[in-house]
Amino acid sequence: MNGLKTNNAPHIGVVVPHFIFGAISFFIVAIMLVFSSSSLLEVYFNTKLIAITHMAILGWATMIIFGALYQLIPVVFETALFSEKLAKVTFWMAAFSVLFLSYSFWVASFTMLLPYASVCMFISLLFFVINVLLSYRKSELKNMSSKFVIAAIIWLLLTELLGTLIALNFKFNFFSEAHIHYLKIHATIGLIGWFLLLIIGVGSTLIPMFLISHQLNFKKLKASFYLINGGLLGIAINWFLINNSILTGICWLLVASGVLFFVSFIFDSYKKRMRKKLDVGMQYSLLAIVSVLLPIIISSVLIVGSNVEFQLLSRIVVFYGFSIIFGFITTLILGQTYKTLPFIVWLEKYKKLVGKTKTPLPRELYSEKIASIQFYLYLGFIIIMPIGILSNNLLLLKIGSIMLLLVTILYNINVFKIILHNVKPIKNE
Amino acid sequence: MNKTEIAEFELATLELLKTVMDPEIEINIIDLGLIYELYYNGAEKINIVMTFSTPACPLGETIISNIKETIKQQHPTFETVVDVVFHPLWNNSMVSEEGRKILGM
Repeated sequence: MNGLKTNNAPHIGVVVPHFIFGAISFFIVAIMLVFSSSSLLEVYFNTKLIAITHMAILGWATMIIFGALYQLIPVVFETALFSEKLAKVTFWMAAFSVLFLSYSFWVASFTMLLPYASVCMFISLLFFVINVLLSYRKSELKNMSSKFVIAAIIWLLLTELLGTLIALNFKFNFFSEAHIHYLKIHATIGLIGWFLLLIIGVGSTLIPMFLISHQLNFKKLKASFYLINGGLLGIAINWFLINNSILTGICWLLVASGVLFFVSFIFDSYKKRMRKKLDVGMQYSLLAIVSVLLPIIISSVLIVGSNVEFQLLSRIVVFYGFSIIFGFITTLILGQTYKTLPFIVWLEKYKKLVGKTKTPLPRELYSEKIASIQFYLYLGFIIIMPIGILSNNLLLLKIGSIMLLLVTILYNINVFKIILHNVKPIKNE
Repeated sequence: MNKTEIAEFELATLELLKTVMDPEIEINIIDLGLIYELYYNGAEKINIVMTFSTPACPLGETIISNIKETIKQQHPTFETVVDVVFHPLWNNSMVSEEGRKILGM
């Protein structure tokens, strides 16, 4: 027997706390947004917006990704996680650090709290990176998906290292350029290097698996890997050392074409899918893949039209960040939660009962009606917010934020319904 | 047991295994074409050669234990041996007509 990796799956106690923390953080992000919707209309580096961004990026997205990745390492690497104990320590440390960091930004405590909060965050992310790298070392499978994951992990470390240096610079002042210059590099390598590469790595395994599509062209993934990494490396080096706008444009084209190769790979998978009807999880996931084109378009506008008036430029930058964090990352996470969490809980609760009693299907662990309402509300949110940002309309942003709050409440209801699911065995006749 | 009886038993067992579902795809493993071979030795042993829709299928172990339990419920003293292979790799031509209807193919 070969290829069976279920035994490699980590204990549920390693994975589920990440989903709980992530879901609650998502709710907190919505509350923060309701109370400071106007921060979306101010300069993009205002403290409230940075606090919301870090809560969304680290507390919500990264936490869910950590939990999902611990579960998916056996699928992507075909090996067990190096250390479950280290994963648990990482979780508690990261949970504390995220709250500490976001609070430091929210109250604008740049010299008193922020340096310590970011050092805590750096250490917890370092633990995660070590755990994944050591798991990869054990793996015999070195396919494109696992290469994407490893590259993403390295970019995460670089992002966090730079973030910590920016935070420490508020206290010790050792940088030659203004903070905003480094913030731009920090955000770019974090969003593209960490999130985009990781999502491509995991998505290129999971999406064809859930769509049941075979005979895909993996050369497209290979091209995507080298183009995105090459382009991003070029951008980072250029911004650090040269700052040449033509070079930035060329590197950006490399990244954009890499993303298009990935979108094309997923499109092939969609065309060749055996399962024609898409459930709510896959609807979210495919919406996210289409949405990834939006930040590419916006960033091209930013690169070409740098002469735009500052206030409009600032709003376009906020729209750019919004399109990545909510249009792409959050949409995909919402979808994949409905694909992965029910299975994780179902496997734990029913693996010893299959064949002996009738068992529900994993999708029956949550309410599809709630998930569906949540999907349409979320669709409304991601349409209303950009209009509000670009037209400088606070009322639209308030309505959008309340819609997000409702989405997070519905999401939390379903997440807790799955996690707290009680086994009610019915004897087979 | 003669050859005909063994063949009938094997067919009945395949029919029984139609109650084993792939919980993600929501189709039974027979219509999905996951079972490549099933042998009954005429005594109390069943050998199954099967595959999964993807080599890293996270539900693989659960499907195997479901197969074993389902057979055990019907034949408590039987031993079921399951071998998982990935040659040939599973593809959509292995799905039955019934399976195609469910998948909307």
